[in-house]
Amino acid sequence: MNSILKYILKNGLRDRLYLGLFISIAVAFAVSIFLGTTMIVEQSQSAIVYSLATIRTILSIGMILFVCININRAFENKEIEFILSKSISREKFILGYLLGFFIANFLILLPITAIVFLVFAVNKIGTLFWFLTTLSENLIIISFALLSSLILKNSFSAILASFGFYALSRLMGMFVMAIDMPEDYSSISQGGLASALKILSVLFPRLDLFAQSSWAVYGIKDNVVLLIILFQSIIYLSLMIFMAFHDFKKKQF
Amino acid sequence: MKNFRLFFYIYSHKIFFWLFVLVFVLQIFFWRIAEKYRINYDIVPPAPSKYFVKGASFGDEEFLFRVLVLGFQNSGDVFAGFVSLKKYDYSRVYDWMTILDTLNRESRIVPSLASYYYSQSSNPQHINYVLKYLDEHSSVDIDKNWWWLFQATFIAKKDLEDLDKSLYFAEKLAKNQAKEAPLWTKQMPAFIGERKGDGCMAFKVIKNLMDESESGKRQISVEEMNFMRHFINNRLSKLKNQNFNPKQC
Repeated sequence: MNSILKYILKNGLRDRLYLGLFISIAVAFAVSIFLGTTMIVEQSQSAIVYSLATIRTILSIGMILFVCININRAFENKEIEFILSKSISREKFILGYLLGFFIANFLILLPITAIVFLVFAVNKIGTLFWFLTTLSENLIIISFALLSSLILKNSFSAILASFGFYALSRLMGMFVMAIDMPEDYSSISQGGLASALKILSVLFPRLDLFAQSSWAVYGIKDNVVLLIILFQSIIYLSLMIFMAFHDFKKKQF
Repeated sequence: MKNFRLFFYIYSHKIFFWLFVLVFVLQIFFWRIAEKYRINYDIVPPAPSKYFVKGASFGDEEFLFRVLVLGFQNSGDVFAGFVSLKKYDYSRVYDWMTILDTLNRESRIVPSLASYYYSQSSNPQHINYVLKYLDEHSSVDIDKNWWWLFQATFIAKKDLEDLDKSLYFAEKLAKNQAKEAPLWTKQMPAFIGERKGDGCMAFKVIKNLMDESESGKRQISVEEMNFMRHFINNRLSKLKNQNFNPKQC
């Protein structure tokens, strides 16, 4: 498993994941500070919010691309068959890959959060929870990207599926709200659309609650949301991993 | 068929040249029609609905708030200077301020823009929209938003020259219980009342404050007490000439 971990981390270097994401985030950081300074008041708070939201988005997109392209290449180059020919179980193989991607994500996010702490006067506890929930959000996305790459075996389809999953999960708050929308606004609550939205909200995680940039400015006002995030992460991550185990066990090479 | 192929082989470059000329002329005609379709430029575009805003935020409402407020702050920027505020549609400005408040009520940006920027319009109707927003924004929590009520009092008095409206805000401002709010927030109805010529009211407000101080309900510094005594004495001597009886207040 250690060799898989090292292999994934080195892949990050080879694919220039770290460099690419650092440069993108540095540019986003500079633009955020510039946009923040153009505000009439609350320049610093605006720069914090712009920075955190763009860091989260860039990191999520970057990790989806990295995971999907990596797994697809491993299939194409017969690397997966080669690794599985060694004395390693398929479960360990998936956990190794997952852990490798997660550590790569952690290695990028940690120094960036440290820079945010150093540059801005942020709410420390709020930013710490932003960091932790961004990690768990990325872990869910990484596990979905891994699962979709294993199932679809095509990088383009896996990337599209993962982007779709991320967008829908981030929209889940609106979907849940739309179910109870007043009747004078739309016919959603009466028709079959409400049931469809309900089914979607059962299947997708509530990523809209994760990594709120407001926490770094105003702190966390509702502690219950942290519990929801914790349980959501544990449940959904387990769901993804077991699904990946099941799918990979059935696969013939 | 063979002749046609031979003809095409020999003259194809000429055919393509004339086809090119034909399509070029068509493009010119098309441009004549298409140039009438211009993108409508709104100084202040219509505000989005709160349901759209919820969806567009992708869960991070604070980020969307900061993005929208940046656009709202720069509305009227036509890339070659700024449009005069009197040309703005203030009903839309009001809608924007209200919808931005649903995303973040704690931020000082929107009430700052309303008080210091959008209140600069020379049209009284526009200022009424700004005051309506400041009233709604501040009324949710007067203790936190006493500063914006003071701004509304000031704008109504100075820009709108509507002392009744100014007094309405001043009375609301005086209700605040914020610890950091200075004493003059309590005295404001007296100042506006006095400007309105309502000596009785001004007298009553200051007297109430002095009574609260003497009964120990409110801590008032010696300097403030001296000022209020000066205020009462000054007004009393003025009002005496008008046969004003403070006991009737």
